[in-house]
Amino acid sequence: MEAPLSLLSHPLPSAAGCARAREVWGLECARASGRVFWRLSKATGKMVENSPSPLPERAIYGFVLFLSSQFGFMLYLVWAFIPESWLNSLGLTYWPQKYWAVALPVYLLITVVIGYVLLFGINMMSTSPLNSIHTITDNYAKNQQQKKYQEEAIPALRDISISEVNQMFFLAANELYTN
Amino acid sequence: MEDKMSFLDICGGRLALQRRYYSPSCREFCLSSPRLSLRLLTAVTCTVWLAAYGLFTLCENSMILSAAIFVTLLGLLGYLHFVKIDQETLLIIDSLGIQMTSSYASGKESTTFIEMGKVKDVIINEAIYMQKVIYYLCILLKDPVEPHGISQVVPVFQSAKPRLDCLIEVYRSCQEILAYQKATSTSP
Repeated sequence: MEAPLSLLSHPLPSAAGCARAREVWGLECARASGRVFWRLSKATGKMVENSPSPLPERAIYGFVLFLSSQFGFMLYLVWAFIPESWLNSLGLTYWPQKYWAVALPVYLLITVVIGYVLLFGINMMSTSPLNSIHTITDNYAKNQQQKKYQEEAIPALRDISISEVNQMFFLAANELYTN
Repeated sequence: MEDKMSFLDICGGRLALQRRYYSPSCREFCLSSPRLSLRLLTAVTCTVWLAAYGLFTLCENSMILSAAIFVTLLGLLGYLHFVKIDQETLLIIDSLGIQMTSSYASGKESTTFIEMGKVKDVIINEAIYMQKVIYYLCILLKDPVEPHGISQVVPVFQSAKPRLDCLIEVYRSCQEILAYQKATSTSP
């Protein structure tokens, strides 16, 4: 995973130049250990940002989806309720069995119910057991960089080892727990 | 010197912690759970036998009743020998290591020993356990490759599962011994 843009300590190239480059090429900046790497994203020629604001294209997509879902529902009702003989007399003979008009919704509902149980089970299975090293540390904490301590500055954010945390909580705060 | 205190486990059951100070460099902590309660035993036996009798009235096969008696007896013996842990002990000897003993209700004892050279630290860790977040004491083992790394986590008092107040007592005593050990090992 690339390091996030750190706007505080290292100056970026000029904002105007950066925006123009993004527009033209669709590039992304990534910063790693003091140097600037330019990475080519999927060059679409458009802005790379994704915003949830309403756009004309999205309105059209929404309306098409609405129309097609209404049509699909009406078609399903026609197929399920109107007897075969009427449909055959109209000339529409090649339909699936009406059995599926009941079976598919039932399958769907059972899938949803099993999905609840399955999700719960998957959550329990992916919880680390008590003897796992993942409850203490992980790759990011092991490979974190030790920034130099600067006077009069807020110390950099880092993962503190669990031994130190324990000593601070349980050895120092004597009065807190004997009350 | 012996010391007995009463605590609760994470489900609210009673626990008894007995501390023995053999010397400044050797201590033992003994957590005892209450014995198998007669109420639970009667309840389980009645349920199993009533269910077997219900099946018998349906099937008219008397083998079900004998099978139920057999299953109950074997189940009870298996539970006492493999599942029910009465007492868990943690023995720390300064220069030697840490020993954990579990005594089962049938008298069986299972022991684990970790030598002091492998022990990095004894800490109280929080983790998610079955829809709860619990505190538990664990021993961190050193990584032979990396000096500041942790190779393994060994949880302690797994079946008794005491609450934080009990764990803090044990933790403080362990830290005293580990500090004593570091002081005596670094001094020439």
